[in-house]
This record gives sequence, structure tokens and C-alpha cells, in this order.
Amino acid sequence: MSSGTVATPIQLQSDTASVGSNTKARGGKKPDVGGKSPLWVRIVVGLLCALWIIPTLGLAVTSFRPADQANSSGWWTIFTSPSVTLQNYSDVFSRANMGEAFVNSVAITVPATIIPILIAAFAAYVFTFMQFKGRDFLMVMIVALLVVPTQVALVPLLKLYGDLGISGTFLAIWLAHIGFGMPLAIYLIRNYMATLPKEIIESAKIDGASHFQTFWRLIIPMSTPALASFAIFQFLWVWNDLLAALIFVGPGSNQPLTIALVSLLGNQGQGWQLLTAGGLFTMLVPILVFLSLQRYFVRGLTAGSVKG
Amino acid sequence: MRNRSTIGAAIAVGAVTLLTSGCLSSGGDGGGGSNNTSNEIELMYGFTGNQDQVFQSVMKEWAGQNDVTIQFSPTPDFNSLINTRVQGNQLPDIAIFPQPGILRTMAERGVLSDVSEAVDMDDLEANMLPGAIEAGQGEDGTQYGILMSSNIKSVVYYPKAGAEQAGLTTPPATFDDLLSLSKTVAATGTTPWCFGIENGPGTGWPATDWVENLMLINYGSDVYNQWVQHEIPFNDPRVLEVLNQMEELLLAPGETNGGREAIASNNFQTAGNPMFDTPPGCYMYRQGNFLTQQGFFPDAVVDTLDDTVGVFPMPGTSADSSPVLGGGDLAGLFSGDNESAQKTLAYMASVDFQNKMAKELTSYLAPRSDVDPANYPSDTSRNFATIQNEATDWAFDGSDQMPGAVGSGSFWKEMTAWIAGEIDAQTALDNIEASWPAS
Amino acid sequence: MGIKIANALLAVLAGVGGAVAVFYLLNKLGELLPGRWEERVKPFLWLFPALAAIGVYLIYPTVQTIIFSFANASSTQFIGLSNYSDLLASSAFQTTLVNTLLWIIIVPAGTIVLGLLIATLADRLEPRAEKTAKTFIFLPLAVGAVSAGAIWRFVYAASPASQEQVGLLNGIVTGVGGDPVNWLQISSGKLNSFLLMVILMWLQAGFAMVLLSAAIKGVPVDTLEAARLDGAGEGAIFFRVVVPQIRTSLITVFITVLITVLKTFDIVYVMTNGNFGTNVIAVDFYNQLFTNSNAGYAAAIVVMLMLVMIPIMTYQIRQFRAEEVSR
Repeated sequence: MSSGTVATPIQLQSDTASVGSNTKARGGKKPDVGGKSPLWVRIVVGLLCALWIIPTLGLAVTSFRPADQANSSGWWTIFTSPSVTLQNYSDVFSRANMGEAFVNSVAITVPATIIPILIAAFAAYVFTFMQFKGRDFLMVMIVALLVVPTQVALVPLLKLYGDLGISGTFLAIWLAHIGFGMPLAIYLIRNYMATLPKEIIESAKIDGASHFQTFWRLIIPMSTPALASFAIFQFLWVWNDLLAALIFVGPGSNQPLTIALVSLLGNQGQGWQLLTAGGLFTMLVPILVFLSLQRYFVRGLTAGSVKG
Repeated sequence: MRNRSTIGAAIAVGAVTLLTSGCLSSGGDGGGGSNNTSNEIELMYGFTGNQDQVFQSVMKEWAGQNDVTIQFSPTPDFNSLINTRVQGNQLPDIAIFPQPGILRTMAERGVLSDVSEAVDMDDLEANMLPGAIEAGQGEDGTQYGILMSSNIKSVVYYPKAGAEQAGLTTPPATFDDLLSLSKTVAATGTTPWCFGIENGPGTGWPATDWVENLMLINYGSDVYNQWVQHEIPFNDPRVLEVLNQMEELLLAPGETNGGREAIASNNFQTAGNPMFDTPPGCYMYRQGNFLTQQGFFPDAVVDTLDDTVGVFPMPGTSADSSPVLGGGDLAGLFSGDNESAQKTLAYMASVDFQNKMAKELTSYLAPRSDVDPANYPSDTSRNFATIQNEATDWAFDGSDQMPGAVGSGSFWKEMTAWIAGEIDAQTALDNIEASWPAS
Repeated sequence: MGIKIANALLAVLAGVGGAVAVFYLLNKLGELLPGRWEERVKPFLWLFPALAAIGVYLIYPTVQTIIFSFANASSTQFIGLSNYSDLLASSAFQTTLVNTLLWIIIVPAGTIVLGLLIATLADRLEPRAEKTAKTFIFLPLAVGAVSAGAIWRFVYAASPASQEQVGLLNGIVTGVGGDPVNWLQISSGKLNSFLLMVILMWLQAGFAMVLLSAAIKGVPVDTLEAARLDGAGEGAIFFRVVVPQIRTSLITVFITVLITVLKTFDIVYVMTNGNFGTNVIAVDFYNQLFTNSNAGYAAAIVVMLMLVMIPIMTYQIRQFRAEEVSR
């Protein structure tokens, strides 16, 4: 394998798109801003950050306030007349069996994130590197399916699951998320693969590598950013999904966090203050996942912006 | 090569086995559906939170003694879920419907069983509210549902402190008395009413309760039922009359705390709380009995409910008429031949069950009038029971009985638009009439 | 609990292992075929799992939906095109369409502008400040629909004038002596729709920012230098040099946000349920299907949504082809 042709583009890719790294290896390329940024830039960015965080801050503060007060005064009054309680959190954990729901959420989300990536990667490879009749048609069809609301699939699937006897199981919800997430997965991963240099494939072919080998040894490692970026999307989507979980898993011992959360609400909406606490709790995992995958996320989606 | 693909095949088979066994142990599918013959039944319903917890504990206690295993499926999205489950042919054994309208739709699809075999109908007819039995009947008169809990919506709350100064000395005996009381209070410079209809996606329903209540008061249950069943058009002149009455009583300047504009954005849960300000921001709030649960009124008020909050029924046109607008949850049977399901349904209709629920759940109101009043936890809830049981006319919430497109759709939306001042009353009624589904 | 965790672990391993094994077998199957056939068949063998998933979970339901869109409310009888003509004739649906159109235009554009703004400004900060700022902006992406509704309730809520305000905006308005405003009721100038769009832009801006920021950093410095030597101002450099070079990223962001917009259901449903003239297509679809039990209308709405999307998607695929050729 002629490594020379391969190395350059990969380096270019990872070099130009490293937003998560503090080191700024590309420092020299940066327009001459100098060490200090202008004051107005700091002020504007500071303002924007404040605007972005304030709504969430409101939720966070409210989760520590007694419901009675949250009903009758603004959350910002906590700063003038502090009154803090952990009641909402203890209620959430004692009533909703959050521990079990948390494990269920993980058990649902992880396979429903990983399996579609593999399937979609193969499909994306085919769409990018193989020639066959109907390729464009299939691709257009898949992206058109991006907009189909998943609700249309609920009834036919429930019937199918009923016949197979898998309603209420994890398998049912995994398969559903695999199907629903597939178009976006193929779309994103294909977009990335299309930016990989064709010469790699050619030279691998000349070296006698089969498609299968090229796929595993070259394309998958080079596509990690795209795979990771889809992983974040799918993870967030599955983790926060309520509707599909309600229908295919339902309430009970297999219920994920989202179902556990909404069942804290009473019929007429009483108990909403528990949602503030529970909502913050459910946000923790996605934020951690994002922070750890952030670097790849950026690279995966910006492919194509760089023309070497 | 051959060896490798054999290994691959083995892996694949192993993987499938693992996957399948992985889901078997996770259980969940308790075997619901109409051909379930086991003693393990699925019970699906739309109430959650505290109500759900008390309900489950009462049911589990009974089930344990009666060799029935119940899988509880509470869901806040009951309507969507039951629709999907029925279309997907994944039926629970029993479902508790918050709205007779959906019960009837299901009955028309032929998925519900006649419950009259499962329960003692004579007992129910003797001890249930008048009208409660009919609420669970299909158009052909078959009994598809039994009311297992009830509520009343035609209740007016008032603050005991300061009510007298405002002129609220005795509960109004007639509707005219209520009108003049409202005027008396307004003359003191305080708005007599509190009113809010905001409830997220459900915004508007508190307004429909007002309209229904006034329809019932003004024209009695016969006309009311004709209107609800669409035997008279939705935009009948009498309905417009009622909306005009509401404009005068509630929407005119000086009548409602915050004015007409605030109503559509004011959450119904806390809209009544200005009653407990000093001085009160309003003196009357008409809302269901469920408002006394923890989380609506300020905690201090809930803690001293009997001393702080007074209730009186919305009066009839004359002193000897006291129509009550109510509602409740109807238990329906999908697995008609399943003995355990039948027993479970019968239990929910029994006085034993309802006595227990009344004792343990503050917001519970029993549809049976032979429930011991001593079981209700407060004077206020006993009061509710009395108002309900002494009703001269008990009518089931109309929007709950109408087709979903109207009862949870256009009726809510058009009332909201009308109260927000986007359209006039006639247009709102015409739009609702137009949205009534054909057939 | 322990069993559950073990179960989950096993499932991940079995699922991934099984999927790998399936592909391995499919590949072997292809290799058994004579040369020319192998080349022809292999793409389809590799595509098979993906197409099977899409077929069962999306195409089959979609075809059914297309058929239902020509049938009555309970899908028992064909009624031709009347679902479409009824919908298009109703003024409520027209408002919904106009709103959806506004969402399609404003939200992706707004998100991109916000993302570009933050990306370019944050780029001029020192590294640590830049990372912190970006994390702040990105945070909302992790917020689920239920929480987002709760969060923005505390921003837009309005209580009667005599009460203390719970919503932040009205807290500010009354704080400076004004009367509380019922924000979500004000449909003049589509203000309430716009306020709901703000929520989605708040959720999505971080996504746009991270993507565009990386793209901007990827713009070769020599092109900027050259422009500077020619005496171009910062603005001109940005629009004439930077923007053209990050066009692909802009399109990816645009399309992804656009899809999110079209599927936007939770925000509008939770905040207004389409009241006060704020309805959008996805909410209408949900209400037609679940509240009104009108499968015919619901299906017709989805089909119209897809029809709108196909030209955009076709354009995008063409775009890709053209780029591949030019590389």
C-alpha cells in the first residue's frame, strides 16, 4: 500500500478541524489577532453566552425551589430571598425509580446507537465507492425519507411486533430506532466518505485489497469523525425519545427515563416541579457524551469544507 | 474459507440466540390482548403521579388475595397510546378511559366487551349516580364501561377570609343570585372572578367546562345531552346565548382578575391563587374538585383547606334545582372472556374499592353514593361528595363525550381564540360546528 | 439490576457481533459468485441490511401513508384527492402552511447567522474562553423536548397584572414599570410564532456554531492574506473569501436544521398546541392522527411534506455529484 497518498489528506483533515483541542496547533495560520481579543468581542460573546445559559439557569434554579414559590414568584427572586430545597430531587428519586429507568435508558440507547452506525457505514461505502444501477435513485429516496415523521410507522410496526411477539422488549425499541435513524446515518456518513480521496481506494485495489478489506482497514478508521457525529445525533435522539418508547416499550420494568419522568406528572399537570429536577438529571448523560465526543463531532460534519 | 464461513454462521446464530434470550428475560409483555386466558392481565390507564401510586397499592392488595397478577400501564398519553395499541392489535385486558368519547369509538370498532356480565348491574343501578351508568353505554345501549372514579366540575371555590366583607355571606341559591353576587363584588372594586385556561397542549379545556356548565344550568340535561350528542347543532342560538352570558359574567372589564386578555395565558392550576392574597385579588374560582390536591393552591392553603377555602355548587336556575357537571374514569373490558379481568373490573366497581380509594386518595370522589362519607379525608371532600350525590341532574362532561376532533380539538381551540379576542363568539361556534366529523 | 446491566452489555456485544457476522457472510456470498456477477451483486448485498431496515421501518409505512392519503378518515374507502383539496382549501391549514414556510426560511437562516456570528467572534478569543463559550452555546442540544418546554415556560409565562410574574420576560417588563405581555398570544406580525422559532434556534445554534467554526478554521490562511494584500476590508474578506470556501458546511447545516424544522413538533405542541395562529405542519399531523383520528388528513399532510422535500434533496445530491466531478 502506498502510504504517501493516504497520509496527506488524513493529516489535513484532522489538522484543520480540531476545534476541541486547546493547543491550537494551527496558531500560526490564524489571522493576526494577537494574544488579546478586542474588548467588544469579549462583551458580545459574553452577552450571547449569558443569553444562551439564562433559560437553562432558570430551570436549574427552579429545580431547587419549593413548588409553592416557583408557582408564585420568578426564579430570579431566589437571589434576593434565598430559599433552597432538595425536596424535588429526593421526590424524583424516591417516586420514579430513576435508577432502574437509568439502566434501561442506557440499555436502550447504546445498542440503538452503535448497530445502525455499522449498517449505515456499509451502505454509505456502497453509495460512495461502488458503481451500480439505481444508485442515485436509491440515495434520493433515502434522503427524502429523512422527513417522514416516525409517527406514520407506529401502527404498522406495532402490528408486526404483535405478530412476532416482541412488543415491550428492548429488541423492539432497538430495531425501531435502527430503522428510524438509518436515513440520517447514511446521509451523514456518505457525505463524509464522499470527501475522502478516491485515490486511496484505487491504490488499495491495485494492491489487491478487496472491498471488504478496504472498508475495514481504510475507510472505517478514516470515517471515525462521521461515525462519531452520527453517534451523538442518534444518542441524543434515542435518549430523549418519549413517543417510540411509550409505544414499543411502554410503562413498566423496562421503561426508560423519559417515561419515568412524565409519569411523575399528574393528570392535571401537578408535580411539574419534579420535571425540573428530573429534566436536569436526564441532561447529564448527553452533556457528558457530547463533551467527550465533541472533537469528532466537529470533524465528521465539516468534511467537504476543506478543499486541499 | 469454508471453515471461516461456518464460524461466521455459528457466530450469527449465536448472536441471534443471545439477542432473543436477552429480550425474553426483560419481560414486559404481560400477555395482554383479547385472547388472553391467563390470570396475568394488563391494566392501562391515563392517570399518573400520586393517583397512580395509590391506585396501584389498592389494586395490588386485592390482586394478591385473589390470585390475579396485574401489570399496570399508566401513561400520560393515554389517548394516543390506546389508539395505536388498538390499531396495532395489541390490546390491554382492561383500560380505564378518561373520556367516554374514546370508549365509544373503541366500542364501535368492536374491540370492547359488554361488561354487564362481569358486574352486578342491579347493585350498580341502585347505588351509582344517576347518569353515571349511561355514561358508559354505547349508542345501542350496551354497557361498555363502568365509572370507577368521578369528579365534579361545577364547584365554586371562595376564600373564607374576607368573603363576608365582599358580600359573600351565603352561597347563592339560584343562578340569578350568583349573577347579582358577582355584581356586588365587582362594585367593591375587586374583580369577583379568577379564571385561567392555559394548560400547555390542553389549553382551552377549562373554558369548555364553563360553557358546558352554563348549558346545563340554563337548559337542563335534556337539551345539554342533545347538544353533546350533536342532535342539535353546536352553534345553536342557545349556545351563543351562553357565550354571551359568559362575556357578561367573566370577560367584561372588571369581572376577572387580570382582565380578558390574561385568561388564555393564565395557567388554570394557579389561576385561583389570588383568592388567598391579602386583600384577595378575586373571590370566586369555578373549577373541578381535583383542584384541592397538593400543588395547585399554595401549600399553606392546602394544609388548612377546611378553614381557608369554602366551596359551593354552581346554582341552578331555581333554588330546588342543582344540576352538577361531572366526569370520571370509565373502566372498559377488552378481554371479555378472561375471568381475572372480569373480577378486576368488578372490584373497581365495588363499594369496597371505592371506600379504600376515598380514604387514601385526597382527590378521589366515588361515583357510588353508598360510599361511607366518613372515609373522605376532609370536610371539603365530604362537601364535594354531598354536592355530587344530591344533584338533581348529573351530566357527564360534554367535551369528553364529543368526538376527539371537537371535544379535545376544535372546542378547546376555538374557545381559546374567542377568549383571547381573536374571533367573536358566533365565528367560534360556527367553526366548531364545521369541524364536527361527518357520519 | 445487575442482571439488567449484564443483559445490556451482552446485547451490545451480540448485536454488534451479529451485525459484523452478517456482513461477513454477505460478503462471502458475493465472493462465491463469478467475477462479473460479484461486482454487480455485491453493492446490493452490502446495502441489504440498511435497505431492509429502511424498507420495514420507513418505506412500507410511507407507501401505506401515501395510499391512506387518498382514503377517508378511517382508511376504509378511497375518496380520491379530497383530503388534499379539503386541507388546501381550509384557512386554518393555509395559516399552518404559511407558518411552516416561515419556519423553513427563518430558522435555518437564523441558526446559520447565529452560528457564524458566534463562531467568528469566539475564534478571536483566547483558547480557554473560546472553549467555554462554545460549551455554553452547545449545551441546549442536550436538552430534551420535555425539558425545553419547561425551560421556556419560565421565559414566556404571563400572569395577570396583579400577580408576581413567573416568566422572565414579563419579570423584566414589569420590573421597568410596564404591564405584563401575553407573549404567546400576540399573533400580529407573527410575533408569537417568531418567539417559538427562537426556542428552536436556541437549541440548534450550537450545532451550527461548532460546524461552521471548524469550517472557518479550515480556510487556508494564504487566501485571506492575498485578499488583505489586495486591500479588502474584513467584511469583504468574510463574504467573498471565507463564505464561498465554507459553502458545503453551510449547506449541510442548512439541510440538517431544515429537517429538524420540518419535524418540529414538541416545541409548538408543548407551548401553544398551535393556538393563537402558531400551528405548523408537524403539530397538525399529530393532532389529525391522534386527536381527530383522521388518518386521511394526517397522511395527506405527510405526503405534502415529502413533496416539498424531494426537490431540495435532489438539488443537494446533484450538488454533491458536481463537487465530486470537480475534485
